[in-house]
Amino acid sequence: MPLIAARALTKRYPRGVTALDGLTLDVEPGIIGLVGANGAGKSTFLKILLGLIKPTSGSVSVMGMDVVTQGTQIRQFVGYLPEHDCLPPDISATEFVTHMGRMAGLPAGAARERTAEVLRHVGLYEERYRPIGGYSTGMQQRVKLAQALVHDPKLLLLDEPTNGLDPAGRDEMLDLVKRTGTEFGITTVVASHLLGEIERVCSFLLAIDGGKLLRAAPIASFTEHTGTLAVEVEEGAEQLARRLTDHGMTAVVEGHSVLVDLPNAEPYDVVRDAIDDLGLALLRVEQRRHRLEDLFSDQAHDAA
Amino acid sequence: MTQREVTAPSAGSVAAGAIYDLGYRGYDGPRLGRRAAISTLFWSSLRAAFGMRRGAKAKIVPWGLTVIALLPAAVAVGIKALTASSSTPAPSPFTYDNYLWGIQLLFALFAAAQAPELVGGDQRHRVLSLYFSHAIRRSDYALAKLGALVAALFVMALLPLLLLFFGSILGATDIVDAFGKELPHLGQILGSALIYAVPLGVIGLAIAAVTPRRAFATGAIIAVFIVTAAVSVIFEPLNIQPLSSLAQLANPFIDLDGTRTWLFGGSIPNSPISSTTIALPLYGLVTIAIALIGTALILWRYRSISA
Repeated sequence: MPLIAARALTKRYPRGVTALDGLTLDVEPGIIGLVGANGAGKSTFLKILLGLIKPTSGSVSVMGMDVVTQGTQIRQFVGYLPEHDCLPPDISATEFVTHMGRMAGLPAGAARERTAEVLRHVGLYEERYRPIGGYSTGMQQRVKLAQALVHDPKLLLLDEPTNGLDPAGRDEMLDLVKRTGTEFGITTVVASHLLGEIERVCSFLLAIDGGKLLRAAPIASFTEHTGTLAVEVEEGAEQLARRLTDHGMTAVVEGHSVLVDLPNAEPYDVVRDAIDDLGLALLRVEQRRHRLEDLFSDQAHDAA
Repeated sequence: MTQREVTAPSAGSVAAGAIYDLGYRGYDGPRLGRRAAISTLFWSSLRAAFGMRRGAKAKIVPWGLTVIALLPAAVAVGIKALTASSSTPAPSPFTYDNYLWGIQLLFALFAAAQAPELVGGDQRHRVLSLYFSHAIRRSDYALAKLGALVAALFVMALLPLLLLFFGSILGATDIVDAFGKELPHLGQILGSALIYAVPLGVIGLAIAAVTPRRAFATGAIIAVFIVTAAVSVIFEPLNIQPLSSLAQLANPFIDLDGTRTWLFGGSIPNSPISSTTIALPLYGLVTIAIALIGTALILWRYRSISA
């Protein structure tokens, strides 16, 4: 049974905006990247999982429980880091995280212990006794993560966890997310519009666009080698392509590169000889990898 | 649980030993669920209503108003104690009937100041989305906050009445006899405090829940009390009955005193209830209506608020 199972999940807002459009997907344990442009429906999906908003139609279950009817049972085991600010400025991180632990059903003593532990984990030390209002964005983001972790959730939903952070803060937050997911074994869904971040921390990727599922697959399958060899030359790419086509290869020109299909035979000797014959200056020969960006550009091409 | 030895961060502390990183530990203990979460929210909100675990500034208004509410009772008890030995003890101007009516302004101020404190910040700082993503329902949040404000007003109403209660027992020459005489009033004391706390708490929270802006909420609550008080006296000069008495129903404090008089008797001279021409149960009905409609509005507000 998948951890999250959505079936034809649709959310339409009153003003005719369709945030989710028949989304069907399964989420298995791991660190899952939920990627899509702003407005693709990422936040809406997370909020539906939490029961913060109700779907227009379709269904979704978390740990086998229906989000609409069994919301309180589900939320006992879910941690949520919202995209927006959500911290009261006038109390300390220790007090706030303890309070949230108790809101999640922990007994008082356990909530205090767990608070000390998760604040240490996210890297908040002396400052945890000071009011949150005086914290930097990076520290506030850590408190948001701590409150999501305090009750040892089975599922962690992080909505743009690096929002508003500087590059160093981003790196730290991503490391923290990765450690949380791998070392603690908490299934983590990271929603982000930044593919690079998803690529760094996630093992599985869900790409959504316009409220629909674009693709769901392990990250590795997006970045593995493709069957294309890119030969970059200083000039004369067209000549080279013609020569290679004469040899029965499929070659197309892309800027200064010639893209050669790698069917079965090794084309390297032919390419080498062709370049030598034509007296071209070879810059680079590389086997192309998929890039996550292709996912969306392919879609755009298909649409066009 | 993993246990790894990590080299100490600074060279100077190498001799001091190693730091043990215990790693992350899961939690296998009890999860107390929704009921415990509601009770946590109620108690933390009740503490917040009195500015506890907050800075000194947050305590000024709630504690100041509570002390002022107690002051007349304390003075009366003091005077009674001083004159107890004389042959003609001074009669106390305060009774269980008239005390809360006399300090009604303090309840209005407490609700205006503390209701926004309880619910405004959660909306302003968007903590609400965290609460709603925990194991409670939206209605649980609303009712826990309402309960906390009502409880705070109840405490504020109860304390001076209890002071009068114990004052008259301990100040009497025959304590056992006085205890026997005062004890039957305990129901009235609790009942009167409740009659004031519930509707005023509901009014305060229903208004405060509408806006994240604290100043707006406080202003609106005070405005409601002023406007309803003004409406209640508008037809007074005309002296057309029962129009004048019906207009008085608009003032929640007159409704509260009407309800109190209906249930416990003891009409007080400076309240319009002493000269009302309409049936007392009608005041009770209006009081109940205020509480129910206000609670419904609060629940509706939190059902529809986006988080």
